[in-house]
Amino acid sequence: MEQNNSLPPFQGLASPQGALTPVMPMFSPMMPYGSGLTPQPVTNTNSLSLLEEQQRQQQQHGMPGGSGQTPQLYHSQTVTTTTLPGNTPLYNTTPLTPMTPITPATPASESSGIVPQLQNIVSTVNLGCKLDLKTIALRARNAEYNPKRFAAVIMRIREPRTTALIFSSGKMVCTGAKSEEQSRLAARKYARVVQKLGFPAKFLDFKIQNMVGSCDVKFPIRLEGLVLTHQQFSSYEPELFPGLIYRMIKPRIVLLIFVSGKVVLTGAKVRGEIYEAFENIYPILKGFRKTT
Amino acid sequence: KDITSRADGDVLALPKVQCPNHPDAMLVEDYRAGDMICPECGLVVGDRVIDVGSEWRTFTNEKATKDPSRVGDAQNPLLNGGDLTTMISKGTGAASFDEFGNSKYQNRRTMSSSDRAMLNAFKEITTMADRINLPRNIIDRTNNLFKQVYEQKSLKGRANDAIASACLYIACRQEGVPRTFKEICAVSRISKKEIGRCFKLILKALETSVDLITTGDFMSRFCSNLGLPKQVQMAATYIARKAVELDLVPGRSPISVAAAAIYMASQASAEKKTQKEIGDIAGVADVTIRQSYRLIYPRAADLFPPDFKFDTPVDKLPLL
Repeated sequence: MEQNNSLPPFQGLASPQGALTPVMPMFSPMMPYGSGLTPQPVTNTNSLSLLEEQQRQQQQHGMPGGSGQTPQLYHSQTVTTTTLPGNTPLYNTTPLTPMTPITPATPASESSGIVPQLQNIVSTVNLGCKLDLKTIALRARNAEYNPKRFAAVIMRIREPRTTALIFSSGKMVCTGAKSEEQSRLAARKYARVVQKLGFPAKFLDFKIQNMVGSCDVKFPIRLEGLVLTHQQFSSYEPELFPGLIYRMIKPRIVLLIFVSGKVVLTGAKVRGEIYEAFENIYPILKGFRKTT
Repeated sequence: KDITSRADGDVLALPKVQCPNHPDAMLVEDYRAGDMICPECGLVVGDRVIDVGSEWRTFTNEKATKDPSRVGDAQNPLLNGGDLTTMISKGTGAASFDEFGNSKYQNRRTMSSSDRAMLNAFKEITTMADRINLPRNIIDRTNNLFKQVYEQKSLKGRANDAIASACLYIACRQEGVPRTFKEICAVSRISKKEIGRCFKLILKALETSVDLITTGDFMSRFCSNLGLPKQVQMAATYIARKAVELDLVPGRSPISVAAAAIYMASQASAEKKTQKEIGDIAGVADVTIRQSYRLIYPRAADLFPPDFKFDTPVDKLPLL
């Protein structure tokens, strides 16, 4: 996950992006970063309650974020100020001793209260042995193999509704799952299928390659205004695609922003990046709300 | 005296030409007669100065195609990298052919191999621009953009024609007269998808950006292609602008809105055009025009300019 270093906005310093000192994650989403790489909203955080909140969160969340937890858990219902859902457990921060000075409290900017839902997870795993695609295609159920069109077996299972591309080298791509745990489970199921067909399948290097999330900000957006002010990040060509393509740098995420207010976020390796990106973009989108 | 030689044995003394009466005067050179004339007294001081003008006289009423003062092609050295090489052209006399009829000196091929692709692309750009009658300034801008992209080499793997088409699109946009992707597609062999991809890559590579397209950019072209009078064109421009201001067509491409506005304006005037005709000119499907038209139809009365002369009143406009 992203290590977010924060600096007080009015000091105007560029945050040292590469610094490894874990800093309190609560500063991440809403704090304007001096580097200009993250979108700069005009809000500030209420630091004091965030400190308490972060302490509380650390006690609550024992497991690493995103291990199959439903999004509600990340809401942390008591939060009134910004908290980055899912981020806290991975930071072993020393509470109450900020590495960087905390900004003095200005009236709280609420978190958006909207949590992006994950729609698709793409993961890869290495089964560790060469496979004979023809036998797999012939013997397995729900498998299709058309070597002239594509050099892999396309297998589908119903339980976590997913599709897998199984290559003869033993590598496999699993797509369609809605959460990280489901993706892992599905990949294991595919591996078991291959194992049952007689191949010495293992489960090596399972890695999530891409996560796609979507959400709705519930108000229409002026895309023309957004492309004018955020020219270096945005690309809006109505002739080519009706949505604005926003390439955020700080968590490296691509967002597709539509006039209706729907937002699609993709390119994340971990769940927290999606949430962080959305928290970054939400204040900006609020600024470009259509007033009619 | 014309040439004075120094008597003091100064080895490096160059013969200095000066007027005997006015040694300080700067001599004026009259190259026509080959004289150096003293401006003070008019004395011709030096004669038989070598004339660096041309050997033949040029008359201005002759055809401009052959300009004898030029001794080379009127190349654009800025774009070409300063091609000062000399080529040996094909022989003209009988002696230049050997026994089989082949020309003796054959090597005319590699004149500028490094920029051959660039020259090819310039030719292609000129051909494409010619098809849609683009003025010279857009062609020059396109050539410049292509040169920048080519030198950067970041898009080296892409087809040169695709890069050229995308440069043409960007140049039109930058000059304030955007052409739709479909119009560029029509004069290029590259698909819209590929041109769009190259367009985004070039903007990133050159770190430039372009303005957003508006409905008004295309009105004059579409309307004159359809043969609509100025009144209808102005009405359509007004309708499209009003529709976007009132946010009646959120998320619709400006081309589609423009086409729908033209349809509404033409249907209200004496020159009625069908959706199909407008769709052909604008490169928009007629169902798309129908969709956008349905969105602006309810507010039709507000969208027309106040001084518009209706041939068909607003309530009789077709509901399609």
